[in-house]
Amino acid sequence: MTIRVIVVVLLVTVVCVLRPGQDSNLVSAQSRRPSREKSQPQTARYTCPMHPEVISAKRGKCPKCGMALRLVEDKVEAPATVTVAPAPSDSSSFSSARIPDVQVYDQNGKRLNFYSDLIKGKTVAINFIFTTCTTICPPLTATFRRVQQNLAELPLQVQLISVSVDPVTDTPERLREFAGKFKAGPGWTFVTGDKSDIDSLLQALEVAVANKTDHTPMILIGNDPAAYWTRAYGLTSPTLLVKVIAAAAERK
Amino acid sequence: MKKRGSLKGLLWLAILALPLPILCASWPVATAQNPLTLSESRGKQIYLQATSRSGKDILAYVGDESLEVPGSALACANCHGFDGQGKPEGGVSPSNITWEALTKPYGATRADGRRHPTYTERGLELAITRGLDPAGNRLLNVMPRYQMSQEDLADLIFYLKRLGKDRDPGISEDKIVIGTAIPATGPLAEMGQAVKAVTTAFFAELNSQGGIYNRHVELKFSETGETPAATRANLERFLKDEQIFAMTGALIAGAEKEIVPLLAQQEVPLIGPLTLNPQIGFPLNRQVFYLLSGVSEQSRALVHFAAKKPEPKNPVISVLYSHSEMNSNVLEAIKDQSKKDLLGPPQVFDYRAGQFDAVATIKQLSQTSPDVVFFMGSTEDLLSFMNEAEKLRWSPKIFLPGGSVGTQIFDAPVSFDGKVFLSFPTSPADQTAEGIKEFRTLAEKYKLPSRHLAAQISAYSAAKILVKALTLVGKDLSREKLIQVLEGFYEYPTGLTPAITYGANRRIGALGVYVVTMDLKGKQFVPAGGWVNLN
Repeated sequence: MTIRVIVVVLLVTVVCVLRPGQDSNLVSAQSRRPSREKSQPQTARYTCPMHPEVISAKRGKCPKCGMALRLVEDKVEAPATVTVAPAPSDSSSFSSARIPDVQVYDQNGKRLNFYSDLIKGKTVAINFIFTTCTTICPPLTATFRRVQQNLAELPLQVQLISVSVDPVTDTPERLREFAGKFKAGPGWTFVTGDKSDIDSLLQALEVAVANKTDHTPMILIGNDPAAYWTRAYGLTSPTLLVKVIAAAAERK
Repeated sequence: MKKRGSLKGLLWLAILALPLPILCASWPVATAQNPLTLSESRGKQIYLQATSRSGKDILAYVGDESLEVPGSALACANCHGFDGQGKPEGGVSPSNITWEALTKPYGATRADGRRHPTYTERGLELAITRGLDPAGNRLLNVMPRYQMSQEDLADLIFYLKRLGKDRDPGISEDKIVIGTAIPATGPLAEMGQAVKAVTTAFFAELNSQGGIYNRHVELKFSETGETPAATRANLERFLKDEQIFAMTGALIAGAEKEIVPLLAQQEVPLIGPLTLNPQIGFPLNRQVFYLLSGVSEQSRALVHFAAKKPEPKNPVISVLYSHSEMNSNVLEAIKDQSKKDLLGPPQVFDYRAGQFDAVATIKQLSQTSPDVVFFMGSTEDLLSFMNEAEKLRWSPKIFLPGGSVGTQIFDAPVSFDGKVFLSFPTSPADQTAEGIKEFRTLAEKYKLPSRHLAAQISAYSAAKILVKALTLVGKDLSREKLIQVLEGFYEYPTGLTPAITYGANRRIGALGVYVVTMDLKGKQFVPAGGWVNLN
């Protein structure tokens, strides 16, 4: 009996050992990397679209899946907390000129032009929601609500905007109900509209996604007269967001 | 001997050690048949809606700064899903919180490296109220901390042990219980019998072909009562006693206001009720899916039809109606649609049923010389209106929902030839050769009555839509999934009605009408344009 048990135990161990084995391959692949990078200029790096851990200095195929490696562009990945971008380089990448003046509707069914009625001459914070989104939108909206309350105590004029990424479902009635649930105060506009208009708006604001549940908890903060725009992660502390928004509002 | 002994021991070990997970896995199936206990069902309400039957507040505190939000905005099911598996969204992946997943004997290691031992009831309480896992790690900051009474928390945990395993009523391994409601007595009794016959035949045929994924459909009937209140009471008892999963083709005309909220409250889906008065106001009753436009939607489509016509531009619309609750609803629909179609507000004239004074009405009405008169009243009143108008050589266009007229409408004065426009929510043109063949085969096989064909087609199409949706949901069936699948219906051809489309905001499958006019000499209806889409 004991012998058989031992055999079983051994089998299990073999299975367990096999797994780290794969990982160790990966480690060795990575450990080879620095020496090659030294010989090549730092700029060009290639990676597998499916296996980001595979990084090579040369074009070629992924050792794991055989896919062609793709050039990595040097872009900064969003940190987990907040992306405060005080550098003017960021504000130059996005500007008010990009925002289309599409026709939209607010939560009361009022027709508005997105840029001229909601952005022009104002400091704004924009988030992206849909009312049937139940996972991140409620905390996102609750955070926005607190931001609105905290901003009210400061001598600043900031408008909040929530743009629906699901305009087909989100009628003004639905937006009104949603706004009511989170006790949104005046100065906070919920926006929907024709799908094509909203789609072009989302494209312009660089938040368009194919699948609405993939929408990101991003907040776009802008001071239109100062031509200053920045982005923040929405699921963070309201205090931090208020700081970022206040900094944007105080820009000249 | 020794060898045999060790073999026996090994066998025992095998029985003890190996099948344990298998036993555990099969155990939920055994309990799935048990209805929820009272405390589990209270817990379910907390899980789904974060409201307590005790009436006590449930509050959620979100994020590092503990934002207070009503729990109902952040119910557990929002993120963890109806089945507890978790609904990933926007980079947040809520955990699987089924009891099996939480109580894995070896605890859990998450993708981010956070480890914790297995959950216990107490551990779960801490996770819900303080946002800590059993190792004392903080949960992701999107997971709120909830404040609720000790009793509510206990109920919730009772339910969490059943989460993902509690089936909706009327579902078992080999059976789906579907209900419908028909009048047994009164003027609609015969129609009720026709509906009963076609529905019974439809599901008998389905069962003879193997049912839906090895489940046969058990069809049950409830009787509607003499008053709406009695109908509601009957149905409430029926849903409870018979454990109805969903309903189809119920004849609820006249009791819509009682039945629709009842179904919403009991969360019983109903597909294709026979009614002229769909309840589709905001907020939507998600459970009820209609086939065709009711009188209000038909009137809207007629307004839209008038607005779209090149001549006259911006037509002036008058509404003439006899007092009734339904007509008041229709009037509101006409007003609203006029606004949407950028027409002026309609002029409204009303009268009491049975007291129509054609002469006086025409005197009043003709002064404003409307292009269109919307008429909602009896066919006799309409005829006397047209006769008096003819005397004054006045013949405005008359609009009315087609379902409400009698055949004597063809006695209208000839000056109204081609001027009376009626709406029909469906037309023979919708019936495809295949659809007709399918229905005829069923009718012959089951010797269906030849009368009340429209009602039969309605009930038949409703059952067809329901079965299509049940098939699309798959074997793992729930009411919520059924509703979600129906909301995804796009241009589904029943073969006998216009194609059916539903959506998150749309509960009328064929939202539009055919407009026909009357050829008074040939005494027949003539199409006055194709399908007027209201969407």
